[in-house]
Amino acid sequence: MGLFSRGGQTGRERRAMQDHLRELDEMRRRNLGELGQMTVEMASAGSFDRRRLSEQAAEVAKIDREADLIARGLEEGLTLQELEDLARGADGAGPA
Amino acid sequence: MRKGALKKKQRQLEDLLLDRREALGELVLGMYVQNAWDDDLLARGAAEVAEVENELSELIAGNEPEGPSTTEKDFPVTGEYRLPTGEHAYPTTGEYTAEHAVPATGEYTAEHSLPGSAEHTAEYTAEHELPDAPDEEPKLSRAEKKAAKKAEKERKRKEKEEAEVPPAEPATPPAASAPAAPAPAPKPAAPAPAAKTPEAPAAPAETAKDPAKKPIAVPPPPAPPAPEPTDPLDILEKQITDSEARAKTAMEAAKASTNADAKTELTAITREVESSRSLLDQSLEKAAAAIAAAEEKASRAEAKLVRETAAGREAAAEWVRGQAAEIEADAALAAEMTGEPGAAPTAPGEPDPVLSARVASLEAELAAEKASKEEALTMAAARLKEIEQAAKLAEARVEAAEAAATEAQNQAKETAAPAGGSGSATEAEAREAAVNWLRGQISALRQEIAKGDESGKETGGN
Repeated sequence: MGLFSRGGQTGRERRAMQDHLRELDEMRRRNLGELGQMTVEMASAGSFDRRRLSEQAAEVAKIDREADLIARGLEEGLTLQELEDLARGADGAGPA
Repeated sequence: MRKGALKKKQRQLEDLLLDRREALGELVLGMYVQNAWDDDLLARGAAEVAEVENELSELIAGNEPEGPSTTEKDFPVTGEYRLPTGEHAYPTTGEYTAEHAVPATGEYTAEHSLPGSAEHTAEYTAEHELPDAPDEEPKLSRAEKKAAKKAEKERKRKEKEEAEVPPAEPATPPAASAPAAPAPAPKPAAPAPAAKTPEAPAAPAETAKDPAKKPIAVPPPPAPPAPEPTDPLDILEKQITDSEARAKTAMEAAKASTNADAKTELTAITREVESSRSLLDQSLEKAAAAIAAAEEKASRAEAKLVRETAAGREAAAEWVRGQAAEIEADAALAAEMTGEPGAAPTAPGEPDPVLSARVASLEAELAAEKASKEEALTMAAARLKEIEQAAKLAEARVEAAEAAATEAQNQAKETAAPAGGSGSATEAEAREAAVNWLRGQISALRQEIAKGDESGKETGGN
């Protein structure tokens, strides 16, 4: 808290963020399920292709980072513009 | 089994399959983040998912599965799961109630005394809430919060299920719950002391009534393997530890990348130096080639000059010889004319006017011829002087070229000295031979010039 004022965020922005967060949750679950299924298939084939697993896991990690950012925007009441600046690392710290 | 029960079972299995897939995905994600791959663990996780898949397919096919269903087994949601065993039924966090089965070893019974501290008697019983988390909780990521929420949900679901199922016999643990597993024991480093002594709720009351009652002598349990955490706090703690480990790994990776950058920079500088050195070598070779080309050009120019000089001198000598022959022929003609016997049948002592006129004209012509020849000789002498001057100039040029060649030879020797090798030696020899040839040419030129002088003097004498 304290980096940005809470008053900047409009209700529409908040709803948009919440919707996006839900979408990201769904996407994360789906990707994790796909990752698990891929692992099961590899196990039945007898060898694990770490490159493919890493690619899929990197997708999930990306979704996690984005979801963290959106959650932070909701917690701190950031506007979409501030969130974009944060995502671009305009505050010097960069997104988590 | 009734149709409704089958449907419910199928739904449960489907949910479980999804959960296990996600948990396996979480496991892979954790391995990816920490960059610590464990194929064995992956295979075990995949086997658990495959187990549920098989059971579900059996159920869909109409075959009722035999034995305990996978839905009845515990399956932590955090990804650090292992093969389900009997220990999973005993959480380590202090939510032990009378409904829990007593472990197979019989170590933990109601006869055990609680620790002496008063807080353990009242605070941590089944009816009590777990101690609150500290005020300053570390900020968790969304995924961690979600995992904690899910764990909480799972725990509630299990509690609900346990409440529905009639409690097992407290004295005799079920055989399926501990199949050849190590003796379940609480986590040694668990924060709650209740975890050390999971007992029935009647125990505190008894202890309170009879504090002097001593525990029976039970050998200390063997050091058990650390059980998988199922409590949200433990899960959070583990996740925090994982996050710290992750941060540490990232820090080490950053350090390694910094070192790699430095090495890369050093390599780049070395390459730059090498390329500069090769460029320098190339420019030196080019300079040497340019010097050699200049030397060759100079030698060709000298040869051309020598040829031109020789040709000019030859032409002058030819011309002089022609002039001399003409003069001789004229002189012979004049002598013939003067000594002609039957020239005119005139009286002796009386000059023939025609002849005299002709002689006069011839004499005049001879004089004119002589004058012109003298003039030509003068011109030839001047030309010879010019040729001499040119020859001197050529000689000077040849000397300069010789000096330049010597200098170039010295330079070549200096250049070739560090390199060494037979190629440079042969080149020096060739240059030496060229200089010798040049010297021979110069001496020949000098002889030619001397000959020209002599012939000029002879021509001047005529």
